[in-house]
Amino acid sequence: MTSPVGTSRRGMLAGTAALGLAAALPAASRAAPYDGAAWRRYAERFLLPEGRIVDTGNKGISHSEGQGYGMLLAVAGGDRAAFDRLWGWTQRVLMVRGDGLVAWRWTPDGGVADRNNASDGDMLIAWALLRAAETWQAEAYRTAAAAIVKALAAGLLVEQAGLTVLLPGRDGFRKGETLVLNPSYWIFPAIRAFAALPGGERWGKLSDSGLVLLSKARFGGFQLPPDWMTLDAAGTVGIADGFKKQYGYDAVRVPLYLAMDGYRDPYYFRPFATLATKFGATKYGGSAVPATVSLPGGTTTQVAASVGMLAVYRLACKLAGAGDAVTVPPLAPDEDYYSTTLAHLSALAAQSLGIDP
Amino acid sequence: MTRPLLLSALILAATAIGGGSDAWAQSNGGARALAPGVKVEVAPAPGSGSAPAAGKVDETALRYYARIGDGERMEAEIARLRALDPGWEPPKDLFAPQPAATGVDESPFWSLLSAGKVAEARAAIAEQRRKSPSWQPSDKLLQELDLAESAGRIRSASDTKRWQEVVDAAAAQPEAVACNRLDNAWRLAEAYAELKQTDRAFDTYKTIVTTCPKAKERRDTIFKASRHLSPERLRELSALGATANPATGEDYSAVRSAEAELETGRLLERLGNAKPGALSAADLSRVQGIVRDKQDADGAIALGWYFQKQKNFAEAQGWFTQANEWTPSDKAAEGLVLAYNGLGDKAQARAAAAPWKGKSSRIDQALKAVDPPRGPAGPGGGRSAPQGPSELDRALARHDFAACISIIRGTIAKSGPTAALLQQRGWCLLELKRPSEAEAAFAEAQTLAAREPAKGGASATGTAPGKAGSRSPAASGLPQTATPAQENAYGQAIARLATGDVTGLTRDLPRANLTATQRAEIRASLMATEAGRALEDKRYNDVLRLLDARKELEPEPRNLGIVRGWALYNLMRFDEAYVQFKSIDDRLSTEESREGLSTAWKTIYHDW
Repeated sequence: MTSPVGTSRRGMLAGTAALGLAAALPAASRAAPYDGAAWRRYAERFLLPEGRIVDTGNKGISHSEGQGYGMLLAVAGGDRAAFDRLWGWTQRVLMVRGDGLVAWRWTPDGGVADRNNASDGDMLIAWALLRAAETWQAEAYRTAAAAIVKALAAGLLVEQAGLTVLLPGRDGFRKGETLVLNPSYWIFPAIRAFAALPGGERWGKLSDSGLVLLSKARFGGFQLPPDWMTLDAAGTVGIADGFKKQYGYDAVRVPLYLAMDGYRDPYYFRPFATLATKFGATKYGGSAVPATVSLPGGTTTQVAASVGMLAVYRLACKLAGAGDAVTVPPLAPDEDYYSTTLAHLSALAAQSLGIDP
Repeated sequence: MTRPLLLSALILAATAIGGGSDAWAQSNGGARALAPGVKVEVAPAPGSGSAPAAGKVDETALRYYARIGDGERMEAEIARLRALDPGWEPPKDLFAPQPAATGVDESPFWSLLSAGKVAEARAAIAEQRRKSPSWQPSDKLLQELDLAESAGRIRSASDTKRWQEVVDAAAAQPEAVACNRLDNAWRLAEAYAELKQTDRAFDTYKTIVTTCPKAKERRDTIFKASRHLSPERLRELSALGATANPATGEDYSAVRSAEAELETGRLLERLGNAKPGALSAADLSRVQGIVRDKQDADGAIALGWYFQKQKNFAEAQGWFTQANEWTPSDKAAEGLVLAYNGLGDKAQARAAAAPWKGKSSRIDQALKAVDPPRGPAGPGGGRSAPQGPSELDRALARHDFAACISIIRGTIAKSGPTAALLQQRGWCLLELKRPSEAEAAFAEAQTLAAREPAKGGASATGTAPGKAGSRSPAASGLPQTATPAQENAYGQAIARLATGDVTGLTRDLPRANLTATQRAEIRASLMATEAGRALEDKRYNDVLRLLDARKELEPEPRNLGIVRGWALYNLMRFDEAYVQFKSIDDRLSTEESREGLSTAWKTIYHDW
């Protein structure tokens, strides 16, 4: 099976300690409202002139997810020129499959290294295009978005056990009767935008199913979702084999996307808040929020959660009614792509919810 | 109105925390936690998040209990609401759909919950809260959702043997292990036992039998606990359960007798391997009394063998006769044949064998002790006198199969192997549950029989298999007597069944040299094995199909009756499953019949 972004992310954050030293620097994650200045700081670090976002924690490769995040933040920062460069590179280099979807992985040495798509990358790109169409009143973006959404619906939306679910990629996520799914590919605000398009009813069902699955897929003492899960024909969920059986770099985005879509039910944020408060409370004792938790066993890694992950936890704690249990340090000068992106997205989410980021 | 309400709630809570076991037994809708060491709170639920209008009590939970038919909790909720507002009367239209109260109508969420769709209820609530940020679901609804989820979590953790998680989940939600969720409380106790925290396991069982009011619950708990506690602690538990905190109208004598029944089970088990005189006279007379009371044929057979081993043939004959009267079986008849033979009454022995002769290998084998086959190469080996039981026959009559093996070994060492001796060795190995060696012994017997010159009489085999022993069975309509070759083939088939070689056996069965009776018996056994596999594979319709086909060949034994019950249960034919388990349990109540019965019952009546 081809593994989209998530699995290769493991370990790349190993060097990032939770407590940064650069206290004097302005903290992008705490700048509200999200504005052009925040975007420019992001672009300076990760946007290359040709229009690709570079994953600094992952040997400088690029991927559809990064392009999508970049396009999203460019719209939020009001930078149409950067947006066009990102979209241009994406079309030119990654949209080579011929089915309207995006090849997910590109390396500086070898170009497109895996032609399989990663559904969350496709969704992020399509959603950014829809927002661009609105912000800049440009119909061409909307047409391009609709084409991607249509291709996703045709190839990746499937029905299983009465639920509408999204396959993580075109190839390799069916094992007999059982599907392998990624809870963090439920980008709720994107799904809502797709549901509003003509003929978008199935996307509405995908949203509903996502909430059902997030209630079912709770494992271990913290009741966290796994990075990769299974859904069998009877509707039973499990932790997927063939991936690390853990909650971690992928699933940390679950509360982020829920918050971005305006969900406020503490029930859906509590597992993340519980994890963060349990470890956050003793941070001066040398303990820090762990980057991953094995499931269902509950073994935590020595690697600390990155600044961006802490920003997500801070958001989750607020929505779970757990208060200000998590302190988010400023981004380090060399903070990597993924951590920085999570920090920026958390700021966007807090802004849209009208809460202090 | 608000102030006195809060006050009464506080008093309730205080009573609960200070009041020890009283609080546990209260039929209050709130917490009756059974996790030891966990603080007990009676949830006061003073109004809810949706803030029902002042002076109006929140009836949503009550309507929910009514809809799912949970009478007990409905009564408890009525009591709770009355305590909150003495002037309140339960509504007459409990089942009528409710108009939307203030703002959001909660009934869709309650409907999902009562349909067991907890995740769907959570999803719907989250969506509603997204749409109406100022709305909050009622505390009661959230409480019920938490409870349903915790109960599910305890179940799945315990099903997958993650014992610490069972304990953690119960600690996080003590109400999930209350008397009205007895199954979860048992799972918690089991988790403690598996974690080797025997004291906590005992405390959990103790809390159940001293606080849950129903005698049936206490009795079932004793049975559950028997797997994890020592006989001494079990006795302590039974004594507590029979006396502590009695509820009016409940008869706890069954709680005390549960322990006695368990004791009987243990005694019967000991009877099976007991050396003569191993049981005290008191124990023995107690077992006899209980077996008689319950008309327990299996128990009577065990008693029969107990006496047979002591050569007390008269007493043995009495019990085998009794067993055969309660439930006729070749097992009971086998004992009877050998007991009469021991008494020297060969005519009675033959009469007892008559109904099964040629139909049961057990009986045919026993008959050899009554009428030993004549001839120098008879199964007795080097026996000189044609009459009088040999040492081997006596060992077989005692069911002493280890002696059988050693006697045969001695005989072979002295005068060489014969087909008949090897065959007998195969049967004894099978009885000793050594099927692979048994299969080899039968195969060896087969080979040897093919080489042995026909010596006339019943032992003639090999060159003309089937001819020597056949007395034109088809024509006469009598049961066909198996030739030695057929008996070897039969023995091999039984041994292969025991080693689990179902595929090979099914393939070879049509070509095997067997009598019609033997073939039917093997086929029935194969179908039973297949039914067991189908059950494991969750092919429940196949289970029923196989068992039905098997029933055409032979009456259904108890263990397959249990299999049938679970197949019905898993096909959601709960009423039929209940009837099936009940009929088995009525005959003889064991842990497995009780488990089936109570699971089916709980499913039908939502009594988890």
